Amino acid sequence: MVVLDLVKQEWKKGTRAQGFYKNLAVNLLLGFLALYMAALFLFLGFSLDNILESVHDTLNPAELFGGAMFYIVVAGLAFRFFMQQLNTINLPPYQVLPIKRTVLVNFLLVKPLFSIINYFHLFIVIPFAVQSVSGYYGSAVAVRFVLACVIFVWFNSLMAAFLKRKFSSGFLSFVALIVVFAVLIALEYFKIFSFFNISKICFGFIVGNPLGLLIPLAAVVAAYLLNRLFFYQNYYPERFNQKIKSDRNSTADLSFLNRFGMIGEMIAVELKLILRHKRTKSILYMSAFFLLYGLIFYTQPAYQERAGLLFFVAMFVTGLLMFMYGQWVISWDSGHFDSLMTKNIPIRTYLNANYYMLLAFNVICFVLTTPYFFFGTKIIYMHLAAFVFNSGVNIYLLLFLATYNTKRIDLTKASAMNYQGTTFKSFLIVMPIMLLPMFIVGAISTLVSMPVALWTLTILGVAGFLLRKPLITLCVNQFNKRKYKLAEGFRQSE
Amino acid sequence: MIQVTQLQKTYNGITVLNIPTLTIPQGESFGLVGNNGAGKTTFFRLILDLIEATTGEVIVDDEKVMRNDNWKAKVGSFLDEGFLIDFLTPEEYFSFTGKLYHKSEGDIASFLYSIKDFFNAEILGGKKLIRDFSKGNQKKIGIAAALLGDPKILILDEPFTSLDPSSQIRLKRFLNDLQERLNMTMLISSHDLNHVTEVCKRIVILEKGKIVKDLQTGEDTLKELEAYFAV
Repeated sequence: MVVLDLVKQEWKKGTRAQGFYKNLAVNLLLGFLALYMAALFLFLGFSLDNILESVHDTLNPAELFGGAMFYIVVAGLAFRFFMQQLNTINLPPYQVLPIKRTVLVNFLLVKPLFSIINYFHLFIVIPFAVQSVSGYYGSAVAVRFVLACVIFVWFNSLMAAFLKRKFSSGFLSFVALIVVFAVLIALEYFKIFSFFNISKICFGFIVGNPLGLLIPLAAVVAAYLLNRLFFYQNYYPERFNQKIKSDRNSTADLSFLNRFGMIGEMIAVELKLILRHKRTKSILYMSAFFLLYGLIFYTQPAYQERAGLLFFVAMFVTGLLMFMYGQWVISWDSGHFDSLMTKNIPIRTYLNANYYMLLAFNVICFVLTTPYFFFGTKIIYMHLAAFVFNSGVNIYLLLFLATYNTKRIDLTKASAMNYQGTTFKSFLIVMPIMLLPMFIVGAISTLVSMPVALWTLTILGVAGFLLRKPLITLCVNQFNKRKYKLAEGFRQSE
Repeated sequence: MIQVTQLQKTYNGITVLNIPTLTIPQGESFGLVGNNGAGKTTFFRLILDLIEATTGEVIVDDEKVMRNDNWKAKVGSFLDEGFLIDFLTPEEYFSFTGKLYHKSEGDIASFLYSIKDFFNAEILGGKKLIRDFSKGNQKKIGIAAALLGDPKILILDEPFTSLDPSSQIRLKRFLNDLQERLNMTMLISSHDLNHVTEVCKRIVILEKGKIVKDLQTGEDTLKELEAYFAV
């Protein structure tokens, strides 16, 4: 079996990758995260019946679930479209071997279906099916219910892969998707056209009828054939492993930055880096979602008295881009680090450029989060204090600690959910930066009062602003000390 | 121009480079040859302060290079693709590099015009990013960028490999011209003994991190080198 050999070689590729064992700590941590998620899902699965029972008085939980299915599938498809990595194998070594093309194509298509992630939702679905569906409709329907959920995931996985290969997941498709969603929700909300009802009837038929499962299976086959058609039409491997094509370069005019001299030039290069790589771009998109994080907390009366937590949220949303990019602020340059180190760029200029870029990020996030001001004066003060503290204290901490991220980040590799280049150290770096201020605010506001807590951090932030020169010097010295470790680490590709 | 004293680099107890003393005067074209693992690239990286010397130091223009920024204005270098910024177009890269050496747009344009034969009309004018160019063309871009800042010292690691024959000949002519016209100091490593004897006036053979031969190029140099490397 050729396919079996391919699977074996992929496995070896994973385990023999440099740094696999070195990264054991991160892998363990991710493993724990997975367990935690599984536990949460399981909990949700067992309580879903109760939750749905209380939502609606005429429809039973299974019907509600079926009605929501359409939205779950569409949302899942959208999520996968942006987040799922296209499965690629390093083709050239295989291309010259006498392996049939269809075998390779099948391998590319089917492999993702074996990913454990695809079956995580069973932790929700199975308890729900046992508790709720079997109670209403009997065990046969419950089994079909679970199977249907699995088949829909297959469909989504294959369909998302096809859509992704066919259309790029660029900014335009992002906007288009938002529009589609807005329209769907509006239709539903204003009761013009209810996909909920259609979905409920269809899903009811699929799981209710003994042969109903053939419908989603047919959809899976259709999605599979679409993929095959795509590969049939795009025979050559450069389309096969579709990478970022150069004709889609963002050619945004950044020439206005030239006015700021060398620092402006360097920031322009950094911004091009962000706009021309998938991984960095997907961080931008994700940040757009994370900006809404505040809505979860600011709207809940239960959190209104918990100053520490609120401050954490304020800090997170006002410093979002800084936190997202900041901790790898040097590692992003790993591909061309030698270039930066041998050209006529004083280290101070290099760090200043990064400093001003992070500062600009903070200003952008602060402005974007001003709508939160409608939640009251307390939030305004929180955001102001968080902004000043981020820009006056955290910014230096990030510049200083980023020198410990010596792992090469390979920007040419896949996009979202890519942990390549993440080490245990990366977690150690952000944790204190994020959590310490939260504890300070929490402690001072319980012991004294919240205004005092916010003023303390604001004063610290302002002091950081005023001491910019010596603090940057500190970072420069640190950088010079770590420079060789950085250069060496960045030279080692995986 | 370049002064090396007691320079040693040790990895896990194995000495990969050991140069007690070496002086490269201004205007010398210095060729470095040696088999794989002889320490050529390590030596260049030490000069460029990209790795930390275990002992000893490198002095460029009377200043230590270690943790210093001043030499960067005087040295142009291209060792490998890590010296490029591969998500820029060649034009953007040249413009960025030029600005770092305080060149105006006009300076950069006239420089690019002066080497247009070397580029063979394949590099400028497109929207292609550097990462999408072939290895040979990437090398040309890197060499051009190393020269853009009018360096006093030029450091190139195997500049001839992966260039096509015409480009190799052009590059040789180009390097000889720079020596004659600007008296530029050059450090060039190569596996090709023919090329290096044509371009360099002095040739040093490295073996296992040590200098084993230091020759002034003459009529018999090529034969001597070939005899040395013959198996």
